[in-house]
Amino acid sequence: MSTRSEESRQIVASLAHRAGSDPDTARIAEAIIAILQDINAALTPIIGQQGVIALYRRSLHLCASTHPRLACTYDNLQASMDLIELKTILVEQDETDAQFFGEMLLTILYDLLTTLIGPSLTARLLSGVYQSSLSDTPSQENSP
Amino acid sequence: MSTRVAINRLATGVPGLDEVLGGGLPEFSFNLIAGPPGCGKTTLAHQMMFALATPERPALFFTVLGEPPLKMLRYQQQFDFFDSDAINQSIRYINLADDTLAGDLDEVLRRIVSEVEAHSPSLVFVDSFRSVVLASQTQDNPNNNLPQFIQQLGMLMTTWQATTFLIGEYFTETDTNPIFTVADGLIWLRQSVERNSMVRKMEIMKMRGQPTLPGLHTFRITTAGIKVFAPAIADLSVEAPPESPIKRLKMGVPALDEMLGGGLPRGYSLLVAGPSGSGKSILAATFLGEGARNGETGVIAVFEQRPSYSQNPRLASLINSGQVGLVDSRAPDLSIDEVVQLLLSEIRRLKATRVVIDSLSGFELALAPTFREDFRESLSRMVTALKGAGVSVLMTSELEDRYTDLRFSPYGTAFMTDAIIVQRYIEVESRLLRIMAVVKVRASAHCNELRQYHIDENGLQIRDMLPDQEGLLGGRPTNRVQDRNTQDIKMFEPGS
Repeated sequence: MSTRSEESRQIVASLAHRAGSDPDTARIAEAIIAILQDINAALTPIIGQQGVIALYRRSLHLCASTHPRLACTYDNLQASMDLIELKTILVEQDETDAQFFGEMLLTILYDLLTTLIGPSLTARLLSGVYQSSLSDTPSQENSP
Repeated sequence: MSTRVAINRLATGVPGLDEVLGGGLPEFSFNLIAGPPGCGKTTLAHQMMFALATPERPALFFTVLGEPPLKMLRYQQQFDFFDSDAINQSIRYINLADDTLAGDLDEVLRRIVSEVEAHSPSLVFVDSFRSVVLASQTQDNPNNNLPQFIQQLGMLMTTWQATTFLIGEYFTETDTNPIFTVADGLIWLRQSVERNSMVRKMEIMKMRGQPTLPGLHTFRITTAGIKVFAPAIADLSVEAPPESPIKRLKMGVPALDEMLGGGLPRGYSLLVAGPSGSGKSILAATFLGEGARNGETGVIAVFEQRPSYSQNPRLASLINSGQVGLVDSRAPDLSIDEVVQLLLSEIRRLKATRVVIDSLSGFELALAPTFREDFRESLSRMVTALKGAGVSVLMTSELEDRYTDLRFSPYGTAFMTDAIIVQRYIEVESRLLRIMAVVKVRASAHCNELRQYHIDENGLQIRDMLPDQEGLLGGRPTNRVQDRNTQDIKMFEPGS
């Protein structure tokens, strides 16, 4: 279960793009949260809120079991998809850790969806999340 | 000029369904696809949706509480018709689980209407509608405003010019359910189980404004999706009056052509009945071979475990060269309509003029048990359909030798065919010999001789009659002269 390198690169690039150049932890956290919100917005109409929360929980679990060092940090997150809570934890990390976690979580979530509904439909449903962000101005640059 | 409204009929993209519906799906109709779990409701809906949806004519698929949408997408992708590129373009999925869980039908209706207004779909699907109903019943007020909800939904969808499908698990069609009344179309899917065979059947219980084909129609689900086997409608225009003079086909056995009065009249159905090993399949293969020799193409349908074509090099080469099309469906639980469809499509493909069905006995075994009771009716329909296609048909029928009566087929089907050849074993001088006779050729003179024949590497060789034997059909003929003498003697036996 591994994302094809192309998608993986796209996720990493998208995250980096949204965080802007030389980002601090807060910017990285915001970028991760923004992408998760976009995923939520893209998938909820189709698979329902509960479906998205289940995908998120499963991705968190896989993330923690693949990378045990993340387990202790993210294990105590609520069962719901509480992005404010996630952000609070993220900003406490250093840049490298936060970035690593973001890349892992998003890649795993993409992978998970791919195993369930196949690469082409996954790409189709999440195209707005990863493609548009590369052409848009990073949202963070507009925020105060 | 007519001032009546013209109802546009949509081609569903499901093979056979348009015929069963009576010409396609009426645009803006409000339909229910009903049936027990696993009968193919969601698949039918998806297949129609992918066929009909275009960017100009988009579809909305509301998922409610049934199958989780992720799983539905996962499984529906397995079908060839599923096209990921259409998702979020011409096809939009909308999950209403949360609204439905609240159990407030007004809220569900409001959500549906707001999405319909936002996207202006031409096609709307609600899967599963049953769960909407069940959720509403969990309220303090059971079935709170269901009839009103359905009424409003039906009215709104039609006014918004959307062709709508509600998909629901319903088990009995006799339930008094408001949805059955409101819906313009009711498509019931069933799984009929008998012994260890399962046959899928579809019934159009109602389709306002058009003549649907009544009855149960079998369908199959493969990776290509659903295929409905609509009964073949005999094209009466093809059934021309008998040609005069009658044009005849050669059988490939000159002596047999003579016995038939010059060959088999074109467009006739011929039954070759005989016991096992009497050479029916060889005659059938010769019939096709003779056609090929004259530049005609043929189709053979085989239903045997070890089909005869594998042991007949001439036939095998005709099949390999494409002069004879092969219908060799090993699919379990066949229906007569499926076989007829297979035959007709092969006939059309090859522009075939000769068709062989080898054998009716194997065919009966290949049918699902649920169709065996109606085997005679089914056969009659098949013969009619094949005649309608203008082909000449040779059917073989395994006949247990019964020397007490002269039977031609175990199914009482002899009357359906235009011509009959019967083959028999007889015992003469401690040898098993074969005899053959032409029993009937409709509207044509034919020979009434019982002719001896044998089979060698060149096929069937017809010989003379056995004039000094009689009682051939009894299987144990007696020498005529000798028998007379015996009889004479008997007459004078004292006390007899």
